[in-house]
Amino acid sequence: MSFFDRFRNKNKGAAVKASAAKTSAAVKKEVKKDSKQAAPAACSSKTLDSVAAAQLQPADLGELLPGAPPNGKINLAIYWAAACGGCDVSLLDVNERILTIGDMANIVMWPIAADGKEHDIAEMEDGSITVSIISGAVRNSENEHMVKLLRKKSAIVVCYGACACFGGSPSLANLIPGGKDELLDYVYRKTPTTANFQEDYHKGKPVIPQTEFKAPEGKLTLPVLYDTVKTLDQVIDVDYYVPGCPPLQESISHLLKAVADFAYNGVPLPPKGATVGVVTKTLCDMCPRRKEYRRITKIVEPHEIDVDPDLCLMDQGILCLGPATVGGCNARCTRAGQPCRGCYGPTVAVQEQGASALTAIASLFPVLDDDATMGEDSIIDIMSTIKDPLGYFYAYTMGKSLIKRSVTEKGGK
Amino acid sequence: MSEFEPKIVVFCCNWCSYAGADGAGVARLQMPPNFRIIRTMCSARVDPEFILRSLAKGADGVVVLGCHPADCHYIGGNYRARRRIALIRMVIEQYGFDPKRLKLEWVSASEGEKFQKTLTDFVSTIKELGPTPLQEGS
Repeated sequence: MSFFDRFRNKNKGAAVKASAAKTSAAVKKEVKKDSKQAAPAACSSKTLDSVAAAQLQPADLGELLPGAPPNGKINLAIYWAAACGGCDVSLLDVNERILTIGDMANIVMWPIAADGKEHDIAEMEDGSITVSIISGAVRNSENEHMVKLLRKKSAIVVCYGACACFGGSPSLANLIPGGKDELLDYVYRKTPTTANFQEDYHKGKPVIPQTEFKAPEGKLTLPVLYDTVKTLDQVIDVDYYVPGCPPLQESISHLLKAVADFAYNGVPLPPKGATVGVVTKTLCDMCPRRKEYRRITKIVEPHEIDVDPDLCLMDQGILCLGPATVGGCNARCTRAGQPCRGCYGPTVAVQEQGASALTAIASLFPVLDDDATMGEDSIIDIMSTIKDPLGYFYAYTMGKSLIKRSVTEKGGK
Repeated sequence: MSEFEPKIVVFCCNWCSYAGADGAGVARLQMPPNFRIIRTMCSARVDPEFILRSLAKGADGVVVLGCHPADCHYIGGNYRARRRIALIRMVIEQYGFDPKRLKLEWVSASEGEKFQKTLTDFVSTIKELGPTPLQEGS
């Protein structure tokens, strides 16, 4: 059974449903009892002012970027590894400053928008690029080669976006037990569209991309796919992190200010390893929603209910990663009624964002009247209402997690 | 080849299970020497990150021991703990670990024998499962 089938078949049993109905009845009883109690003090202390104070303000760019810097234009390289391109687009989100970026910097490489090829970079002197902004995880040999090259040629490397910082969505591929072979096999032979194509045109001899092909004119090569998707800092030394999927305007303004201040006024850069454009507290601090008796009795998706615009999403049964995610985005998603998926990554004190989200959310399942006497099976039934916990809690941080990839039990004696 | 000796991390709550482990020692109950105990104030103090970190550092199995339900020193810590453990067990199963590598058991302060039995059984379970599937450097 393949990885995908295993997930599809999970939690299909009718028996699970029956016992879940029983537990949800018990839960209702408990909620009734508790809703009479006042909300805990900590929850009610949030005011409009405290929420407003917690917002990340965009950096004051003042009179920056007025023409060329005193020491001449800086060199700027922007590169995407395993990324969707959203980060490149988000870089434009600096309002009218975008018009003056060209005054500050020569863009020596930007695959999505500007010319500048690998050999152009290779011919440059080491350290001659002031800033390289790299988005995307490292998932093949080309990514690795390019980021290593850029590291060699750059004074500062900025790890930009959730994929570069934590692995992001590409790193969820680490959970495929068969690695790249299973991945390629699925993508080129098993999906409905490719299965039909292979059946119609390459019956019995499916076409799967090869990394090397000897043509009469010479050898053709493609990058080698890796089994494990890596974050940028697992491959090269990184100076700054800007998380987010993609990073939002406020975060970008802080990055731009740091770079521009350095280029124009010689202001020292932030300490190496700093995360630019985040606050110390979690997203809940920035979220204006009112928290009441925050207990989850039934998990729903936002499209299944009328989302109350003022009430905490967890109160309404929507799983939100806000309590485990560092603030920096000013709670854009939760303001719009969508739960946080955790793209800004964990807070400073935590490595495992998924584990801390899991801890927070598991604690929100209320203690039931008959909790003391119920068996472990009932607990498993309650908790398995969360489908695919690994994929949900580690949606952006699999590459940075402690275990990093799927493992295969080999069996004992 | 010598027999596989598993490395097991045991998290014991301060009020029940750690005293239970103490009791097992005082009573000189024979136990396999494969486990290392870490004392926590409550089974709910065991952050799932601790469990993942143990596994990531090469532990072959993890045991979390706490007070019996309705017996928690902090009223409801063990109820929280078992919800988390149920969820983290789903997570490690998705990673590909055998879920039997993570065990949650209730051991009270007077149950030295249960402590011994739990650990002896767990060590033999892990010996059957074999070493951790996690390879170094992967």
